[in-house]
Amino acid sequence: MYKPSHRKSDFIERSILSALAFLKDATLSEEYANRRGFLQSLDPRIKTISFLAFLVTSISLKSAVLISALYGLCLILVIFSAIPVGYFLMRTLLFIPLFSLCIVLPTLFSAVTPGEPLWTFHLFGINAIITRQGLGGAVLFVVRIATSVSLVVLLSLTTRHSELLKVLRFLGVPQIFVLTVSMCYRYLYLFATMVENIFTAIKSRVGVVSQQQQGRQIVAWNIANTWNRTTQMSEEVYMAMLSRGYTGEPRLLSEFHAMPRDWAWLFCALIACAGLLYRGHTL
Amino acid sequence: MSDIVFELTEVHYSYPGKFPALCGIDLTVRSGEKIAVIGANGTGKSTLLQLLDGLIFPHKGQVSAFGERLSEWAHTDENAAHRFRKRVGLVFQNADIQLFCPSVKEDIAFGPLQLGFSTKEVERRLLEVSGVLDIRHLLDRVPHQLSIGEKRRVAIASVLAIDPDVYLFDEPTAGLDPSTVRHIIDFIVEANLRGKTIITATHDLHIIGEIADTVYVFGRNKQIVREGAPESVLSDRSFLEANNLVHIHRHHHNSKEHLHQHMPLEPHE
Repeated sequence: MYKPSHRKSDFIERSILSALAFLKDATLSEEYANRRGFLQSLDPRIKTISFLAFLVTSISLKSAVLISALYGLCLILVIFSAIPVGYFLMRTLLFIPLFSLCIVLPTLFSAVTPGEPLWTFHLFGINAIITRQGLGGAVLFVVRIATSVSLVVLLSLTTRHSELLKVLRFLGVPQIFVLTVSMCYRYLYLFATMVENIFTAIKSRVGVVSQQQQGRQIVAWNIANTWNRTTQMSEEVYMAMLSRGYTGEPRLLSEFHAMPRDWAWLFCALIACAGLLYRGHTL
Repeated sequence: MSDIVFELTEVHYSYPGKFPALCGIDLTVRSGEKIAVIGANGTGKSTLLQLLDGLIFPHKGQVSAFGERLSEWAHTDENAAHRFRKRVGLVFQNADIQLFCPSVKEDIAFGPLQLGFSTKEVERRLLEVSGVLDIRHLLDRVPHQLSIGEKRRVAIASVLAIDPDVYLFDEPTAGLDPSTVRHIIDFIVEANLRGKTIITATHDLHIIGEIADTVYVFGRNKQIVREGAPESVLSDRSFLEANNLVHIHRHHHNSKEHLHQHMPLEPHE
């Protein structure tokens, strides 16, 4: 009697559905951007400029201690912006340092970074030496990555995506590019939901997909179907744009109102960056 | 000056693959009229609205709007296109198609901004239409977070913000709860009272008495098979049956179940 291999078939379905769930949660959720908090209250332009300054500072500094201070500031902002610290740390620290550690692992050893030996051990008959310079470089790299990613995540968590897109226009990105990205963002959720519904519909008719080959076939159908529907929809959306006067050069709403407190924040942020850079220069 | 808004003469339209959607439509719409276009699925109602909105063009015959023949200028000549778009607005059947911006506010402002209204005027209209349609609390929301009824109201607001002379509605009440249907019917009736021309394609025969003074029925042959006042068209049972327009419900009466034809303008027995 044939026994379906649920584990294999589940793998395809679970992978796709988990990817969609992550997409919806990570990209489209605005739960934290809608909360009342310090960063949420700032003008998005000012906030983005200040975070760009933090990022440039993080990349320019060559001291892990000073970059850690910037990371500390980031965590303080997390607290004042009504974002649960545990959630933020999970989102930023769980995978990124792991990946960056994998990248820098070889640089720990004297073969890649010669210098003062710190720790020597035997691995598969090879004499491995971790150097002080190698370890210092690796720590700097990981701290810099963690801080930069944390800053970017904090900015995206505390700013509505529509506002971030408007900031792009303020930074000089062409309107047509911003409109295209806006529309991608707008329809991402719709298509993610559509793919989920297709899987539910398949499941309701054929039950659990039992063979890997059948699973691949269903994924292929799904891709073809989604492609067809997106093509059809793009034509209809273009008609809807034409219908409201679009003639090829979009004009979009821009309505930012910077308050004195926004400028005060920018001033403080720039002073903090300048201080850190000066300290890094004199170390 | 003529009060003719649209004039269609022997209009034919086929989708790619030679699938005919309209086969010889003659139609005249006058300013301030309230018209309903009804017909079974696939009889060309939505195609007609897209033709009237200058989004597609007939393969044979001609469509004139405000005395001028509608042709490719509706896409290529910016000034002419803007003049036309300020006068004609289409509310699409699928609100997800109409709401393509990342926020409700931007969707409502999109039309007036493209048509060259000043930012101050756009903001004034934004406030006004969001008040009229009771969607002020939705302005900062992203469209995918809205319910179907909210999306439909925002879609109407995005056209109302242009304040056109002619409103084209494609199935405006499909899939909505009764209170939203009521809200939309009231909006259509009030817009007509303000002198706007209303053309509505719908399956919902129960609302026609309120939203139309003239009904055009599209048949399977992709032609207008009948026109007239709602009372005369919708009381002709054999005609409605022949054109797949009679609602048939299954009812329980005194523990007995039976199929029951439901005429649009007669009270339920």
